[in-house]
Amino acid sequence: MEKLILRRVDQNNEEMILNFGPQHPSTHGVINFIVQTDGEVITRAVPDVGYLHRSLEKIGESTGWHGYMPYTDRIDYVAAMFPNEGYATAVERLTGIEVPRRAQYLRAISGELCRIASHLISVGTMAMDIGAFTPMLHGVRERETINDLIEALCGARLTYNYHRIGGVAFDLPEGWRDRTLAFLDHFDRFLVEFDRLITFNEIYIRRLANVAVIPGPMAVDYGLVGPNLRGSGVDWDVRRDLPYGAYSDFEFSIPVGQGMFGTVGDSFDRYFCRVREMGESSKIVRQALEKLPDGEIMAPKVQRNLKVEAGEALSRVESARGEMAFYVVADGTNKAYRIRARTGSFTAMGIIEPLSRGLMVADLVALIASLDVVAPEIDR
Amino acid sequence: MPTKRTASKISPRTVVLVTLAVGLGLPGALFAAILLLSPLTKPAVIDALVGRVLGVDPATWPWTGLAEGVAVGILAFILVNFGAIVSGMTVWWEMRVSSRMQSRVGYNRAGAAGFFQWIADAVKLLFKEDLIPADADQILFRSAPYFVMAGFALAFVVLPFGESLIAADLNVGVFYLIAVTALVVVGILLAGWSSNSKWALFGGMRSAAQVISYEIPAGVAVMVPILMSGTLSMQGIVRAQGAWPWQWNVFTNPASTVAFAIFFISQLAEGNRTPFDLPEAESELVAGYLSEYSGFRFALYFLVEFGNLWVMAAVATTLFLGGWQVPFVGPEAYAAARGAELIPGAAWWGLEALSMVVMVLKTLVVLNLIVWVRWTLPRIRIDQMMNLCWKYLVPWAFASFLFTLLWQLAVAGTPALATVSGIALTAATALLLVLFLRQTRANLVAMGDRVDLTNW
Amino acid sequence: MPTTVREYTGSIRDTVKSFWHGLSITLSYLVRRPITVQYPDRTTLPVRDMLPPRYRGFLEVDASICTGCQACERACPISCIQISLEKDPQNPKQRVVTQFDIDEAKCMFCGLCVEPCPTGSIQHTREFEGSQADLRNLVIRWSDPLHPFPVYKVDKAAEYLPRVELGTLVRAKLAARAWDAPGPRFLPPEPPAAPAAPAAGDATPAKP
Repeated sequence: MEKLILRRVDQNNEEMILNFGPQHPSTHGVINFIVQTDGEVITRAVPDVGYLHRSLEKIGESTGWHGYMPYTDRIDYVAAMFPNEGYATAVERLTGIEVPRRAQYLRAISGELCRIASHLISVGTMAMDIGAFTPMLHGVRERETINDLIEALCGARLTYNYHRIGGVAFDLPEGWRDRTLAFLDHFDRFLVEFDRLITFNEIYIRRLANVAVIPGPMAVDYGLVGPNLRGSGVDWDVRRDLPYGAYSDFEFSIPVGQGMFGTVGDSFDRYFCRVREMGESSKIVRQALEKLPDGEIMAPKVQRNLKVEAGEALSRVESARGEMAFYVVADGTNKAYRIRARTGSFTAMGIIEPLSRGLMVADLVALIASLDVVAPEIDR
Repeated sequence: MPTKRTASKISPRTVVLVTLAVGLGLPGALFAAILLLSPLTKPAVIDALVGRVLGVDPATWPWTGLAEGVAVGILAFILVNFGAIVSGMTVWWEMRVSSRMQSRVGYNRAGAAGFFQWIADAVKLLFKEDLIPADADQILFRSAPYFVMAGFALAFVVLPFGESLIAADLNVGVFYLIAVTALVVVGILLAGWSSNSKWALFGGMRSAAQVISYEIPAGVAVMVPILMSGTLSMQGIVRAQGAWPWQWNVFTNPASTVAFAIFFISQLAEGNRTPFDLPEAESELVAGYLSEYSGFRFALYFLVEFGNLWVMAAVATTLFLGGWQVPFVGPEAYAAARGAELIPGAAWWGLEALSMVVMVLKTLVVLNLIVWVRWTLPRIRIDQMMNLCWKYLVPWAFASFLFTLLWQLAVAGTPALATVSGIALTAATALLLVLFLRQTRANLVAMGDRVDLTNW
Repeated sequence: MPTTVREYTGSIRDTVKSFWHGLSITLSYLVRRPITVQYPDRTTLPVRDMLPPRYRGFLEVDASICTGCQACERACPISCIQISLEKDPQNPKQRVVTQFDIDEAKCMFCGLCVEPCPTGSIQHTREFEGSQADLRNLVIRWSDPLHPFPVYKVDKAAEYLPRVELGTLVRAKLAARAWDAPGPRFLPPEPPAAPAAPAAGDATPAKP
């Protein structure tokens, strides 16, 4: 790929090729960007993905149906609840297993907490890429509390493996509900403080507003999902539009980019969508904890050595990085014939090249951060 | 110097005592050396000493020049060491402050409160392999750190520490300062160019663009205190101010407040501090012009970067914040204590020490302000940086310059004007300070936290 | 880009205002207590005691209540558990577990093996500090081929299963091994060279 670009560069002009990554502080993992610049201005930035490919989809064909669950954690380790949920939902649709209501609520609670945690990392690293280090650690500090909560819930801080086909692995531990509610109270105050600390900082706004604008139709064309899509003003959220699990029971709004300080679809809109989504997630967790029904957390009689009749199923869940789809094909054995995960970061990488023309080097960093790409999710 | 290993074996009380002894003793000894040497290494004093002790006429004695040179050399050695040690301690302090701002503990292993960490870091850097990239321009790559170091060290020549505590009170002091600090950018540009790395080149070019642009608002803003004092000498500018806040340059003239803000921002930009740390923007350029440096050469850059904080703060204090002026001690008091003796009496040394304390305290306040700003603000983009310079700072700097011209005419007519402005602006600043502290307290209350200074 | 006077002054005002808020927040954090703990030596409690009970640390097997059902081995998605069963030469009715190896270096701490265990013999503990210079030392062997343990027959009448305190066994195993101990030359399954270890064949025995 590099040669391909090199051939196109006219050696007589003043452009140069810059290898942005894979060891670069702000590529959010091992991603390489081959950047062609004219001084500070980028004429072209080509993402080169694949450094973190672990054949996660292929592994699904050799582990059993249950055994694939911990691998889904690794698809997006910043927000591991969502691949868990997506895979579990897909297999449940395939087998027709009915998930108990309480388990669905627990999935929503853990998922929304995980969304907050993931967005905290996203907005924090965004601030760090723009040059402010303090907001990043403030975000990480709050995320730490969520990690503690999730650790108490399922025993792990990063690769949760909380969901099971037909339910979830653990019920709420004692005192967890109060701890979570106390944290959410604290967190709502923190969001206000965070906005004052960095979101409405004038330098920050200037760095993000009108940078790398993605118009709505373009976002749809490139298959952007999640906050990246909503930041462009497209009102689409799987949780509301194709409700799954317990989401139809909750009242929440979908933040959409409004072009607060610039054009609709600029980096600031994508960033601010995430900030407001954290507040919405906090509302969902409160509602879910309030309405939490009693009952089982696992569907009865899910075979340990699950054999699935031949067929296929697709599940769509709203991950922190947008719509995540799992497509599973069974051929009647106790292993999947094919598992395919569709993730938001991969498509987000595609839009970087057309957007990068005319950006500054510093803007490219802001663009990557605002798309919230996570390397394992790109490559799987 | 106890290393971490020995420090962990001995009792905590000893660690605290050793840390306090070194932490206060090292800068204390340097300050004492500066206090003693800077008045005594003046050529006139040396000449008089030569005449009196050796009984020869200094004008005809062939070694007079050598004696003066040695004296100046000793003073220069002390000052450069002072710069290096202040730089190291600033690193420690900045890391401690920033970690508290980020809810972390920060350095706390080597010595009490991790004070010896900067020594450990320096030693580590000295032991590191000194790499030079294969295709780097050898001569330029090796020489670049010394340009930076020279620009930094030369600035200490005109930095006042007290009433007569200055290496050389040049009559073109401010001009000299602006000239020598520009050497730093030569070093950075050379580093960027000679590293043969694209990242370093980016950093070097950014730095050149940044520093050269910000010389203009800084230079024009500096003209304001120069106009008000009528001199380019650093000591002269301090002498033209009073000890109380309403007698400081920054408050006696409304335009001067603006000029101070502009000067402060430009200083941040020239010192490559956040929000203007574009030349080494970590998230964009990896490490900017420092990308290819390691070991001792890297340590030099690092030393200059943090040592510059002191220079920046001291210059701002001198020009705008009343320098070393001690309340209730006017020039007559110094003259009276000085007497006619060659070596003045204890009273004079006491007054000098007092003025030094005032200067150091003010400098530390400004230094902390710079540190604080760094850990709060994001970085601006290069075009915005230019925008800020040319569209905001330069016009405002010229406006305040023009205003000061008229103001000086007005003050010449009615001297009370300066006092009124001084008191009003001081009161306004005090009010803002109170409001700010209330806001800070409100932040604490809003999060349900309380002041807790344990675990420093 | 400011185009009107209002925008020009407005941007200055916004800058000052936002800096005011930002600086006051960082200052307020300067006087708050840090939230970090200083692992490993300056914590109020050992870290394992601060972890929640569900924490998924090193796996531990209580040999005294292991039924030898191999459910955990089958559940493990990465096959880091290796179990061999044989008939006791002295007592043909009694089966013994001659090999029960858990490769903690390979284990991804997913907890899938814990769920099917009928007696709760295999459990995650709150132990996590087990760094070893040699990766192979992290293979924890719960059964010695020379001293195999008999499988446990669940007493239907018993009200509870007599499990030893969680974590003590794995702690003892980890404590017995220096961090820089040389590792075994072969990872289990070992080659059939040693006649003293007849059970350590390289093939998994047939399913019972």
